[in-house]
Amino acid sequence: MAQTTQKIKRPKTLYQRFKENSKAQSAATIVMPVLLGVVIVILWQSQALHHLLRTNTFTLPLLTRIGEIFGENLDKIWDNSVATMTVAFVGLLIGSLLGYGVAIFAALCPRVGKGGLTVIGAFASIPVVALAPVMNNWTKDVSDVASVRSMVAKILVVMLIAAANMCLNAYRGLTELKPYAMDLMDTYAAKKRTVFVKLQLPNSVPYIFTALKVSVPSSIITAIVSEYFAEYIIGVGRQIRENIVLAQYPTAWAYIAAACLLGVAAYVVLMIAQSILLRRYH
Amino acid sequence: MSELKEREVEIQIRDLGVTFKDNAGNDVKALTGVNLDICKGEFISLLGPSGCGKTTLLRTIADLQEPTEGTVRISGMTPKEIRLQQKFGFVFQQPVLFDWRTVKKNVELPLEIMYQSKEDRSKRADEMLEMVGLKGFANHFPNQLSGGMQQRVNIARAFGIRPELLLMDEPFSALDEFTKEKLHEDLLRIWRQTNKTVVFVTHNIQEAVFLSDRICVLSPHPGRLSAVVDVDLPRPRTLEMKESEHFNELVYEVRGKFEGGSV
Repeated sequence: MAQTTQKIKRPKTLYQRFKENSKAQSAATIVMPVLLGVVIVILWQSQALHHLLRTNTFTLPLLTRIGEIFGENLDKIWDNSVATMTVAFVGLLIGSLLGYGVAIFAALCPRVGKGGLTVIGAFASIPVVALAPVMNNWTKDVSDVASVRSMVAKILVVMLIAAANMCLNAYRGLTELKPYAMDLMDTYAAKKRTVFVKLQLPNSVPYIFTALKVSVPSSIITAIVSEYFAEYIIGVGRQIRENIVLAQYPTAWAYIAAACLLGVAAYVVLMIAQSILLRRYH
Repeated sequence: MSELKEREVEIQIRDLGVTFKDNAGNDVKALTGVNLDICKGEFISLLGPSGCGKTTLLRTIADLQEPTEGTVRISGMTPKEIRLQQKFGFVFQQPVLFDWRTVKKNVELPLEIMYQSKEDRSKRADEMLEMVGLKGFANHFPNQLSGGMQQRVNIARAFGIRPELLLMDEPFSALDEFTKEKLHEDLLRIWRQTNKTVVFVTHNIQEAVFLSDRICVLSPHPGRLSAVVDVDLPRPRTLEMKESEHFNELVYEVRGKFEGGSV
Protein backbone atom coordinates (compact mmCIF):
# COMPACT_ATOMS: atom_id res chain seq x y z
CA MET A 1 0.00 0.00 0.00
CA ALA A 2 2.80 2.37 0.99
CA GLN A 3 4.50 1.50 -2.26
CA THR A 4 1.56 2.51 -4.43
CA THR A 5 1.24 5.87 -2.68
CA GLN A 6 4.87 6.47 -3.38
CA LYS A 7 4.34 5.58 -7.02
CA ILE A 8 1.57 8.12 -7.46
CA LYS A 9 3.62 10.93 -5.90
CA ARG A 10 6.66 10.29 -8.04
CA PRO A 11 7.42 13.35 -10.21
CA LYS A 12 6.95 13.03 -13.94
CA THR A 13 9.92 11.84 -15.89
CA LEU A 14 11.42 13.99 -18.62
CA TYR A 15 9.94 11.63 -21.21
CA GLN A 16 6.43 11.95 -19.74
CA ARG A 17 6.67 15.73 -19.71
CA PHE A 18 7.82 15.69 -23.32
CA LYS A 19 4.98 13.39 -24.33
CA GLU A 20 2.35 15.66 -22.77
CA ASN A 21 3.69 18.86 -24.32
CA SER A 22 2.06 19.39 -27.71
CA LYS A 23 4.43 22.21 -28.70
CA ALA A 24 7.45 20.04 -28.04
CA GLN A 25 5.76 17.26 -29.97
CA SER A 26 5.16 19.31 -33.10
CA ALA A 27 8.71 20.70 -32.93
CA ALA A 28 9.98 17.15 -32.62
CA THR A 29 8.29 16.12 -35.87
CA ILE A 30 10.55 18.62 -37.65
CA VAL A 31 13.68 18.39 -35.50
CA MET A 32 13.92 14.61 -35.41
CA PRO A 33 13.99 13.93 -39.18
CA VAL A 34 16.40 16.84 -39.73
CA LEU A 35 18.63 15.46 -36.98
CA LEU A 36 18.56 12.03 -38.59
CA GLY A 37 19.51 13.59 -41.92
CA VAL A 38 22.41 15.50 -40.37
CA VAL A 39 23.67 12.31 -38.67
CA ILE A 40 23.58 10.40 -41.98
CA VAL A 41 25.36 13.24 -43.80
CA ILE A 42 28.10 13.28 -41.13
CA LEU A 43 28.48 9.50 -41.19
CA TRP A 44 28.58 9.51 -45.00
CA GLN A 45 30.97 12.42 -45.48
CA SER A 46 33.31 11.23 -42.69
CA GLN A 47 33.38 7.77 -44.33
CA ALA A 48 32.11 6.19 -41.12
CA LEU A 49 29.27 4.84 -43.20
CA HIS A 50 31.76 3.22 -45.59
CA HIS A 51 33.42 1.42 -42.66
CA LEU A 52 30.03 0.31 -41.37
CA LEU A 53 28.95 -1.03 -44.77
CA ARG A 54 32.45 -2.34 -45.59
CA THR A 55 32.53 -0.40 -48.84
CA ASN A 56 34.72 2.33 -50.37
CA THR A 57 34.34 5.81 -51.83
CA PHE A 58 34.42 4.35 -55.34
CA THR A 59 31.09 2.49 -55.07
CA LEU A 60 29.63 4.90 -52.49
CA PRO A 61 31.03 8.30 -53.51
CA LEU A 62 31.27 11.11 -50.99
CA LEU A 63 28.39 13.58 -50.94
CA THR A 64 30.62 16.42 -52.06
CA ARG A 65 31.65 14.40 -55.11
CA ILE A 66 28.02 13.58 -55.97
CA GLY A 67 27.17 17.27 -55.60
CA GLU A 68 30.03 18.22 -57.90
CA ILE A 69 28.87 15.79 -60.60
CA PHE A 70 25.28 16.97 -60.14
CA GLY A 71 26.42 20.54 -60.81
CA GLU A 72 28.50 19.60 -63.82
CA ASN A 73 25.70 17.58 -65.44
CA LEU A 74 22.84 19.91 -64.56
CA ASP A 75 21.68 20.21 -68.19
CA LYS A 76 21.66 16.47 -68.80
CA ILE A 77 19.96 15.77 -65.47
CA TRP A 78 17.34 18.36 -66.30
CA ASP A 79 16.62 16.83 -69.72
CA ASN A 80 16.31 13.33 -68.26
CA SER A 81 14.14 14.61 -65.40
CA VAL A 82 11.81 16.26 -67.90
CA ALA A 83 11.55 12.94 -69.79
CA THR A 84 10.72 11.02 -66.60
CA MET A 85 8.25 13.61 -65.37
CA THR A 86 6.50 13.73 -68.74
CA VAL A 87 5.95 9.97 -68.61
CA ALA A 88 4.83 10.11 -64.97
CA PHE A 89 2.55 13.11 -65.41
CA VAL A 90 0.90 12.11 -68.69
CA GLY A 91 0.41 8.55 -67.43
CA LEU A 92 -0.98 9.80 -64.13
CA LEU A 93 -3.34 12.24 -65.82
CA ILE A 94 -4.76 9.86 -68.43
CA GLY A 95 -4.80 6.95 -65.99
CA SER A 96 -6.57 8.90 -63.24
CA LEU A 97 -9.18 10.27 -65.63
CA LEU A 98 -9.75 6.80 -67.04
CA GLY A 99 -9.96 5.30 -63.54
CA TYR A 100 -12.43 7.96 -62.46
CA GLY A 101 -14.51 7.30 -65.56
CA VAL A 102 -14.66 3.58 -64.82
CA ALA A 103 -15.58 4.39 -61.19
CA ILE A 104 -18.48 6.53 -62.41
CA PHE A 105 -19.66 3.74 -64.65
CA ALA A 106 -19.42 1.23 -61.79
CA ALA A 107 -21.29 3.57 -59.44
CA LEU A 108 -24.09 4.18 -61.94
CA CYS A 109 -24.41 0.57 -63.14
CA PRO A 110 -23.57 -1.46 -60.02
CA ARG A 111 -24.45 -4.82 -61.57
CA VAL A 112 -21.84 -4.69 -64.32
CA GLY A 113 -19.58 -2.32 -62.46
CA LYS A 114 -18.86 -4.39 -59.39
CA GLY A 115 -17.41 -7.21 -61.46
CA GLY A 116 -15.28 -4.72 -63.34
CA LEU A 117 -13.90 -3.39 -60.08
CA THR A 118 -12.69 -6.83 -59.09
CA VAL A 119 -10.80 -7.10 -62.38
CA ILE A 120 -9.27 -3.67 -61.84
CA GLY A 121 -8.31 -4.62 -58.29
CA ALA A 122 -6.42 -7.53 -59.79
CA PHE A 123 -4.70 -5.19 -62.29
CA ALA A 124 -3.57 -2.98 -59.43
CA SER A 125 -1.61 -5.84 -57.91
CA ILE A 126 0.44 -6.67 -61.04
CA PRO A 127 4.06 -5.65 -60.34
CA VAL A 128 5.53 -2.95 -62.59
CA VAL A 129 8.55 -5.11 -63.41
CA ALA A 130 6.18 -7.63 -64.97
CA LEU A 131 4.05 -5.08 -66.78
CA ALA A 132 6.85 -2.98 -68.33
CA PRO A 133 8.39 -5.63 -70.63
CA VAL A 134 4.92 -6.73 -71.74
CA MET A 135 4.01 -3.17 -72.70
CA ASN A 136 7.29 -2.80 -74.60
CA ASN A 137 6.34 -5.81 -76.64
CA TRP A 138 2.78 -4.67 -77.28
CA THR A 139 3.79 -1.21 -78.48
CA LYS A 140 6.44 -2.40 -80.96
CA ASP A 141 4.34 -1.34 -83.96
CA VAL A 142 2.99 1.93 -82.61
CA SER A 143 5.58 4.09 -84.32
CA ASP A 144 8.71 3.92 -86.45
CA VAL A 145 10.50 6.23 -84.06
CA ALA A 146 12.09 4.41 -81.11
CA SER A 147 11.70 7.35 -78.72
CA VAL A 148 7.96 7.55 -79.43
CA ARG A 149 7.48 3.77 -79.10
CA SER A 150 9.25 3.76 -75.75
CA MET A 151 7.36 6.78 -74.50
CA VAL A 152 4.03 5.14 -75.30
CA ALA A 153 5.06 1.91 -73.57
CA LYS A 154 6.18 3.71 -70.42
CA ILE A 155 3.09 5.91 -70.28
CA LEU A 156 0.86 2.86 -70.66
CA VAL A 157 2.43 1.21 -67.60
CA VAL A 158 2.04 4.33 -65.45
CA MET A 159 -1.49 4.75 -66.77
CA LEU A 160 -2.60 1.27 -65.77
CA ILE A 161 -1.24 1.60 -62.25
CA ALA A 162 -2.74 5.07 -61.76
CA ALA A 163 -6.09 4.06 -63.28
CA ALA A 164 -6.53 1.06 -61.00
CA ASN A 165 -5.70 3.09 -57.92
CA MET A 166 -7.98 6.00 -58.84
CA CYS A 167 -10.84 3.72 -59.83
CA LEU A 168 -10.97 1.84 -56.54
CA ASN A 169 -10.78 5.02 -54.43
CA ALA A 170 -13.16 7.09 -56.55
CA TYR A 171 -15.75 4.30 -56.50
CA ARG A 172 -15.74 4.44 -52.70
CA GLY A 173 -16.08 8.23 -52.87
CA LEU A 174 -19.06 7.98 -55.20
CA THR A 175 -20.87 5.28 -53.24
CA GLU A 176 -19.95 5.63 -49.55
CA LEU A 177 -22.36 8.44 -48.70
CA LYS A 178 -23.53 9.79 -45.37
CA PRO A 179 -26.46 7.81 -43.96
CA TYR A 180 -29.80 9.17 -45.23
CA ALA A 181 -28.08 11.36 -47.89
CA MET A 182 -29.65 9.28 -50.66
CA ASP A 183 -33.06 9.33 -48.88
CA LEU A 184 -32.80 13.10 -48.58
CA MET A 185 -32.30 13.45 -52.33
CA ASP A 186 -35.23 11.05 -52.86
CA THR A 187 -37.52 13.26 -50.79
CA TYR A 188 -36.67 16.11 -53.18
CA ALA A 189 -37.52 13.79 -56.09
CA ALA A 190 -34.03 14.59 -57.40
CA LYS A 191 -33.14 13.03 -60.74
CA LYS A 192 -30.28 10.55 -60.95
CA ARG A 193 -28.18 13.14 -62.72
CA THR A 194 -28.83 15.73 -60.01
CA VAL A 195 -27.93 13.25 -57.26
CA PHE A 196 -24.73 12.53 -59.11
CA VAL A 197 -23.73 16.15 -59.62
CA LYS A 198 -24.81 17.53 -56.24
CA LEU A 199 -24.04 14.60 -53.95
CA GLN A 200 -21.87 11.83 -55.36
CA LEU A 201 -19.38 13.95 -57.29
CA PRO A 202 -18.52 16.36 -54.47
CA ASN A 203 -18.50 13.47 -52.00
CA SER A 204 -15.77 11.79 -54.05
CA VAL A 205 -13.35 14.75 -54.06
CA PRO A 206 -11.47 13.84 -50.85
CA TYR A 207 -11.16 10.30 -52.17
CA ILE A 208 -9.50 11.63 -55.33
CA PHE A 209 -6.77 13.06 -53.14
CA THR A 210 -6.49 9.81 -51.20
CA ALA A 211 -5.82 8.13 -54.54
CA LEU A 212 -3.37 10.81 -55.68
CA LYS A 213 -1.37 10.60 -52.45
CA VAL A 214 -0.53 7.05 -53.49
CA SER A 215 -0.57 7.61 -57.27
CA VAL A 216 1.78 10.59 -57.48
CA PRO A 217 4.79 8.90 -55.87
CA SER A 218 3.95 5.55 -57.45
CA SER A 219 3.67 7.06 -60.94
CA ILE A 220 7.19 8.46 -60.64
CA ILE A 221 8.53 5.13 -59.35
CA THR A 222 6.66 3.32 -62.12
CA ALA A 223 8.07 5.68 -64.76
CA ILE A 224 11.59 5.11 -63.42
CA VAL A 225 11.24 1.34 -63.35
CA SER A 226 9.70 1.17 -66.84
CA GLU A 227 12.62 3.18 -68.18
CA TYR A 228 14.88 0.27 -67.25
CA PHE A 229 13.06 -1.92 -69.77
CA ALA A 230 12.44 0.67 -72.47
CA GLU A 231 14.05 0.50 -75.87
CA TYR A 232 15.02 4.17 -76.07
CA ILE A 233 17.63 5.32 -73.53
CA ILE A 234 16.33 8.33 -71.64
CA GLY A 235 15.04 9.21 -68.20
CA VAL A 236 16.35 9.45 -64.66
CA GLY A 237 15.80 5.76 -63.98
CA ARG A 238 17.54 4.68 -67.15
CA GLN A 239 20.52 6.94 -66.38
CA ILE A 240 20.88 5.35 -62.94
CA ARG A 241 21.08 1.95 -64.60
CA GLU A 242 23.39 3.01 -67.48
CA ASN A 243 25.84 4.73 -65.13
CA ILE A 244 25.95 1.80 -62.72
CA VAL A 245 26.67 -0.52 -65.65
CA LEU A 246 29.54 1.80 -66.68
CA ALA A 247 30.70 1.95 -63.03
CA GLN A 248 30.22 5.74 -63.04
CA TYR A 249 28.90 5.70 -59.51
CA PRO A 250 29.00 9.45 -58.73
CA THR A 251 26.86 10.09 -61.83
CA ALA A 252 24.48 7.27 -60.90
CA TRP A 253 24.13 8.79 -57.42
CA ALA A 254 23.50 12.23 -58.92
CA TYR A 255 20.52 10.72 -60.81
CA ILE A 256 19.34 8.96 -57.65
CA ALA A 257 19.39 12.36 -55.95
CA ALA A 258 17.43 13.80 -58.89
CA ALA A 259 14.84 11.01 -58.59
CA CYS A 260 14.41 11.81 -54.87
CA LEU A 261 13.99 15.51 -55.61
CA LEU A 262 11.36 14.80 -58.29
CA GLY A 263 9.38 12.61 -55.90
CA VAL A 264 9.50 15.14 -53.08
CA ALA A 265 8.68 18.06 -55.39
CA ALA A 266 5.65 16.27 -56.87
CA TYR A 267 4.36 15.39 -53.40
CA VAL A 268 4.77 18.96 -52.19
CA VAL A 269 2.82 20.25 -55.20
CA LEU A 270 0.06 17.73 -54.44
CA MET A 271 -0.08 18.74 -50.77
CA ILE A 272 -0.37 22.42 -51.69
CA ALA A 273 -3.14 21.63 -54.18
CA GLN A 274 -4.94 19.59 -51.55
CA SER A 275 -4.72 22.28 -48.89
CA ILE A 276 -6.31 24.74 -51.33
CA LEU A 277 -8.95 22.47 -52.87
CA LEU A 278 -9.94 20.53 -49.76
CA ARG A 279 -10.35 23.52 -47.47
CA ARG A 280 -14.07 22.87 -47.31
CA TYR A 281 -13.79 19.18 -46.47
CA HIS A 282 -12.75 18.30 -42.96
CA MET B 1 -60.29 17.91 -30.68
CA SER B 2 -63.82 18.76 -31.74
CA GLU B 3 -62.23 21.62 -33.61
CA LEU B 4 -59.85 19.21 -35.29
CA LYS B 5 -62.64 16.90 -36.41
CA GLU B 6 -64.11 19.67 -38.47
CA ARG B 7 -60.79 20.17 -40.24
CA GLU B 8 -59.99 18.75 -43.61
CA VAL B 9 -58.33 15.34 -43.59
CA GLU B 10 -54.96 15.57 -45.31
CA ILE B 11 -53.50 12.09 -44.90
CA GLN B 12 -55.70 9.02 -45.07
CA ILE B 13 -54.13 5.70 -44.11
CA ARG B 14 -56.18 2.54 -44.70
CA ASP B 15 -55.31 -1.04 -43.65
CA LEU B 16 -51.64 -0.29 -44.13
CA GLY B 17 -49.19 -3.15 -43.77
CA VAL B 18 -45.48 -3.38 -44.47
CA THR B 19 -43.64 -6.69 -44.51
CA PHE B 20 -39.87 -7.06 -44.74
CA LYS B 21 -37.79 -10.12 -45.47
CA ASP B 22 -35.17 -10.84 -42.82
CA ASN B 23 -31.74 -12.32 -43.54
CA ALA B 24 -33.09 -15.87 -43.34
CA GLY B 25 -35.75 -14.98 -45.94
CA ASN B 26 -38.63 -15.07 -43.46
CA ASP B 27 -41.37 -12.46 -43.57
CA VAL B 28 -41.26 -9.94 -40.75
CA LYS B 29 -44.32 -7.78 -40.23
CA ALA B 30 -43.08 -4.26 -39.51
CA LEU B 31 -46.58 -2.81 -39.64
CA THR B 32 -50.03 -4.28 -39.90
CA GLY B 33 -53.59 -2.98 -40.13
CA VAL B 34 -52.90 0.71 -39.61
CA ASN B 35 -55.89 3.04 -40.05
CA LEU B 36 -55.37 6.72 -39.40
CA ASP B 37 -56.60 10.14 -40.55
CA ILE B 38 -54.31 13.10 -40.14
CA CYS B 39 -55.84 16.55 -40.43
CA LYS B 40 -54.49 19.57 -42.22
CA GLY B 41 -52.38 21.73 -39.94
CA GLU B 42 -52.26 19.10 -37.24
CA PHE B 43 -49.18 18.26 -35.18
CA ILE B 44 -49.30 14.52 -34.72
CA SER B 45 -46.75 12.23 -33.07
CA LEU B 46 -46.02 8.58 -33.76
CA LEU B 47 -44.80 7.24 -30.43
CA GLY B 48 -43.43 3.86 -29.51
CA PRO B 49 -40.42 1.76 -28.58
CA SER B 50 -37.89 0.73 -31.20
CA GLY B 51 -39.21 -1.95 -33.54
CA CYS B 52 -42.80 -0.71 -33.38
CA GLY B 53 -42.76 0.46 -36.99
CA LYS B 54 -43.11 4.19 -36.35
CA THR B 55 -40.25 5.09 -38.68
CA THR B 56 -41.57 2.61 -41.25
CA LEU B 57 -44.97 4.32 -41.10
CA LEU B 58 -43.34 7.73 -41.62
CA ARG B 59 -41.20 6.43 -44.49
CA THR B 60 -44.29 4.94 -46.11
CA ILE B 61 -46.04 8.33 -45.98
CA ALA B 62 -42.89 9.82 -47.57
CA ASP B 63 -42.76 7.14 -50.31
CA LEU B 64 -39.31 6.06 -49.10
CA GLN B 65 -40.96 2.71 -48.36
CA GLU B 66 -43.54 0.80 -50.44
CA PRO B 67 -46.53 -0.52 -48.55
CA THR B 68 -47.10 -4.27 -48.84
CA GLU B 69 -50.82 -3.89 -48.30
CA GLY B 70 -53.35 -1.08 -47.84
CA THR B 71 -53.13 2.48 -49.06
CA VAL B 72 -51.90 5.93 -48.10
CA ARG B 73 -53.53 8.97 -49.68
CA ILE B 74 -52.30 12.50 -49.18
CA SER B 75 -54.80 15.13 -50.36
CA GLY B 76 -56.24 12.37 -52.53
CA MET B 77 -52.91 11.55 -54.17
CA THR B 78 -50.43 8.73 -53.67
CA PRO B 79 -47.27 9.40 -51.63
CA LYS B 80 -45.26 9.01 -54.83
CA GLU B 81 -47.22 11.74 -56.60
CA ILE B 82 -46.77 14.00 -53.59
CA ARG B 83 -43.04 13.24 -53.49
CA LEU B 84 -42.60 13.93 -57.20
CA GLN B 85 -44.39 17.25 -56.69
CA GLN B 86 -41.86 18.00 -53.94
CA LYS B 87 -44.60 18.83 -51.49
CA PHE B 88 -43.11 17.52 -48.28
CA GLY B 89 -40.06 18.16 -46.16
CA PHE B 90 -38.37 15.32 -44.34
CA VAL B 91 -36.17 15.82 -41.28
CA PHE B 92 -33.98 12.79 -40.59
CA GLN B 93 -32.51 11.64 -37.29
CA GLN B 94 -29.17 13.01 -38.41
CA PRO B 95 -28.74 16.49 -39.91
CA VAL B 96 -27.46 15.06 -43.27
CA LEU B 97 -25.74 18.31 -44.18
CA PHE B 98 -23.27 18.31 -47.05
CA ASP B 99 -19.82 19.12 -45.66
CA TRP B 100 -18.69 20.89 -48.83
CA ARG B 101 -21.53 23.41 -48.77
CA THR B 102 -21.85 26.38 -46.45
CA VAL B 103 -24.81 26.48 -44.07
CA LYS B 104 -26.66 28.77 -46.47
CA LYS B 105 -25.86 26.62 -49.50
CA ASN B 106 -27.14 23.59 -47.61
CA VAL B 107 -30.47 25.34 -47.02
CA GLU B 108 -30.53 26.27 -50.71
CA LEU B 109 -29.92 22.69 -51.87
CA PRO B 110 -33.56 21.60 -52.30
CA LEU B 111 -34.39 24.97 -53.88
CA GLU B 112 -31.59 24.41 -56.40
CA ILE B 113 -33.01 21.00 -57.20
CA MET B 114 -36.39 22.65 -57.73
CA TYR B 115 -34.85 25.12 -60.20
CA GLN B 116 -35.59 28.27 -58.24
CA SER B 117 -33.75 31.38 -59.30
CA LYS B 118 -30.57 32.39 -57.54
CA GLU B 119 -32.14 35.50 -56.00
CA ASP B 120 -35.19 33.60 -54.71
CA ARG B 121 -33.00 30.87 -53.25
CA SER B 122 -30.73 33.29 -51.49
CA LYS B 123 -33.62 35.32 -50.10
CA ARG B 124 -35.48 32.24 -48.90
CA ALA B 125 -32.36 30.74 -47.28
CA ASP B 126 -31.70 34.01 -45.43
CA GLU B 127 -35.30 34.06 -44.15
CA MET B 128 -35.10 30.46 -42.98
CA LEU B 129 -31.76 30.93 -41.24
CA GLU B 130 -33.12 33.96 -39.46
CA MET B 131 -36.15 31.93 -38.39
CA VAL B 132 -33.99 29.26 -36.75
CA GLY B 133 -31.66 31.87 -35.26
CA LEU B 134 -28.61 31.12 -37.37
CA LYS B 135 -28.41 34.32 -39.38
CA GLY B 136 -24.80 34.92 -38.40
CA PHE B 137 -23.70 31.45 -39.46
CA ALA B 138 -24.75 31.51 -43.12
CA ASN B 139 -21.20 31.25 -44.41
CA HIS B 140 -19.96 28.71 -41.88
CA PHE B 141 -19.41 25.10 -42.84
CA PRO B 142 -21.46 22.39 -41.09
CA ASN B 143 -18.51 20.97 -39.19
CA GLN B 144 -18.01 24.37 -37.55
CA LEU B 145 -21.43 24.08 -35.88
CA SER B 146 -22.60 22.17 -32.81
CA GLY B 147 -25.00 19.24 -33.14
CA GLY B 148 -27.96 21.41 -32.11
CA MET B 149 -27.10 24.11 -34.64
CA GLN B 150 -26.71 21.49 -37.38
CA GLN B 151 -30.16 20.14 -36.58
CA ARG B 152 -31.53 23.69 -36.84
CA VAL B 153 -30.01 24.00 -40.31
CA ASN B 154 -31.73 20.72 -41.10
CA ILE B 155 -35.08 22.19 -40.00
CA ALA B 156 -34.45 25.43 -41.91
CA ARG B 157 -33.74 23.37 -45.03
CA ALA B 158 -36.95 21.36 -44.59
CA PHE B 159 -39.13 24.48 -44.13
CA GLY B 160 -37.33 26.30 -46.95
CA ILE B 161 -39.24 24.47 -49.66
CA ARG B 162 -42.59 25.63 -48.20
CA PRO B 163 -43.76 22.04 -47.70
CA GLU B 164 -47.43 21.20 -47.33
CA LEU B 165 -46.37 18.48 -44.98
CA LEU B 166 -43.40 18.08 -42.66
CA LEU B 167 -42.25 14.60 -41.72
CA MET B 168 -39.79 14.38 -38.83
CA ASP B 169 -38.03 11.19 -37.78
CA GLU B 170 -36.71 11.49 -34.20
CA PRO B 171 -35.02 14.76 -35.13
CA PHE B 172 -33.95 15.64 -31.59
CA SER B 173 -33.08 12.22 -30.19
CA ALA B 174 -29.32 12.78 -30.43
CA LEU B 175 -29.37 16.16 -28.68
CA ASP B 176 -28.87 17.08 -25.03
CA GLU B 177 -31.87 18.06 -22.89
CA PHE B 178 -31.24 21.84 -22.99
CA THR B 179 -30.79 22.01 -26.75
CA LYS B 180 -33.81 19.78 -27.18
CA GLU B 181 -36.07 22.08 -25.12
CA LYS B 182 -34.91 25.10 -27.05
CA LEU B 183 -35.57 23.37 -30.37
CA HIS B 184 -39.02 22.21 -29.16
CA GLU B 185 -39.99 25.83 -28.59
CA ASP B 186 -38.45 26.87 -31.91
CA LEU B 187 -40.26 24.12 -33.78
CA LEU B 188 -43.64 25.00 -32.23
CA ARG B 189 -43.11 28.69 -33.04
CA ILE B 190 -42.22 27.91 -36.67
CA TRP B 191 -45.15 25.48 -36.92
CA ARG B 192 -47.51 28.17 -35.63
CA GLN B 193 -46.13 30.69 -38.11
CA THR B 194 -46.35 28.38 -41.11
CA ASN B 195 -49.39 26.29 -40.14
CA LYS B 196 -48.12 23.11 -41.80
CA THR B 197 -49.09 19.53 -41.01
CA VAL B 198 -46.35 17.87 -38.97
CA VAL B 199 -45.92 14.12 -38.46
CA PHE B 200 -43.33 13.65 -35.74
CA VAL B 201 -41.76 10.31 -34.83
CA THR B 202 -40.36 9.92 -31.33
CA HIS B 203 -39.76 7.42 -28.54
CA ASN B 204 -39.93 10.11 -25.88
CA ILE B 205 -43.33 10.42 -24.15
CA GLN B 206 -42.73 13.90 -22.67
CA GLU B 207 -41.60 15.18 -26.04
CA ALA B 208 -44.71 13.77 -27.74
CA VAL B 209 -47.06 15.26 -25.14
CA PHE B 210 -45.37 18.65 -25.19
CA LEU B 211 -45.45 19.04 -28.96
CA SER B 212 -48.53 17.25 -30.25
CA ASP B 213 -52.24 17.73 -30.85
CA ARG B 214 -52.58 13.97 -30.98
CA ILE B 215 -50.34 11.05 -30.15
CA CYS B 216 -50.49 7.73 -31.99
CA VAL B 217 -49.18 4.99 -29.76
CA LEU B 218 -47.61 2.08 -31.67
CA SER B 219 -46.79 -1.36 -30.31
CA PRO B 220 -44.21 -3.79 -31.62
CA HIS B 221 -44.28 -7.42 -32.83
CA PRO B 222 -46.02 -6.88 -35.12
CA GLY B 223 -45.97 -3.10 -35.39
CA ARG B 224 -49.47 -1.71 -35.10
CA LEU B 225 -51.39 1.34 -34.00
CA SER B 226 -52.63 0.51 -30.49
CA ALA B 227 -54.09 3.81 -29.28
CA VAL B 228 -54.61 7.46 -30.16
CA VAL B 229 -54.44 10.02 -27.35
CA ASP B 230 -55.70 13.61 -27.68
CA VAL B 231 -53.49 16.22 -26.06
CA ASP B 232 -55.67 19.11 -24.93
CA LEU B 233 -52.94 21.29 -23.47
CA PRO B 234 -53.57 24.87 -24.57
CA ARG B 235 -51.52 26.54 -27.29
CA PRO B 236 -49.07 28.17 -27.36
CA ARG B 237 -47.24 25.69 -25.20
CA THR B 238 -44.64 26.89 -22.73
CA LEU B 239 -41.93 25.03 -20.86
CA GLU B 240 -43.73 25.75 -17.58
CA MET B 241 -46.57 23.51 -18.72
CA LYS B 242 -44.24 20.56 -18.29
CA GLU B 243 -44.49 21.14 -14.52
CA SER B 244 -48.29 21.19 -14.57
CA GLU B 245 -50.42 18.41 -13.16
CA HIS B 246 -52.34 18.05 -16.41
CA PHE B 247 -49.14 17.50 -18.37
CA ASN B 248 -48.13 14.73 -16.03
CA GLU B 249 -51.59 13.17 -16.20
CA LEU B 250 -51.27 13.05 -19.97
CA VAL B 251 -47.81 11.51 -19.76
CA TYR B 252 -49.23 8.94 -17.34
CA GLU B 253 -52.17 8.24 -19.63
CA VAL B 254 -49.91 7.70 -22.65
CA ARG B 255 -47.59 5.49 -20.65
CA GLY B 256 -50.60 3.37 -19.66
CA LYS B 257 -51.35 2.70 -23.32
CA PHE B 258 -48.23 0.63 -23.70
CA GLU B 259 -48.93 -3.02 -23.17
CA GLY B 260 -47.57 -4.36 -19.92
CA GLY B 261 -46.59 -0.82 -19.01
CA SER B 262 -42.97 -1.81 -19.41
CA VAL B 263 -42.01 1.02 -21.71
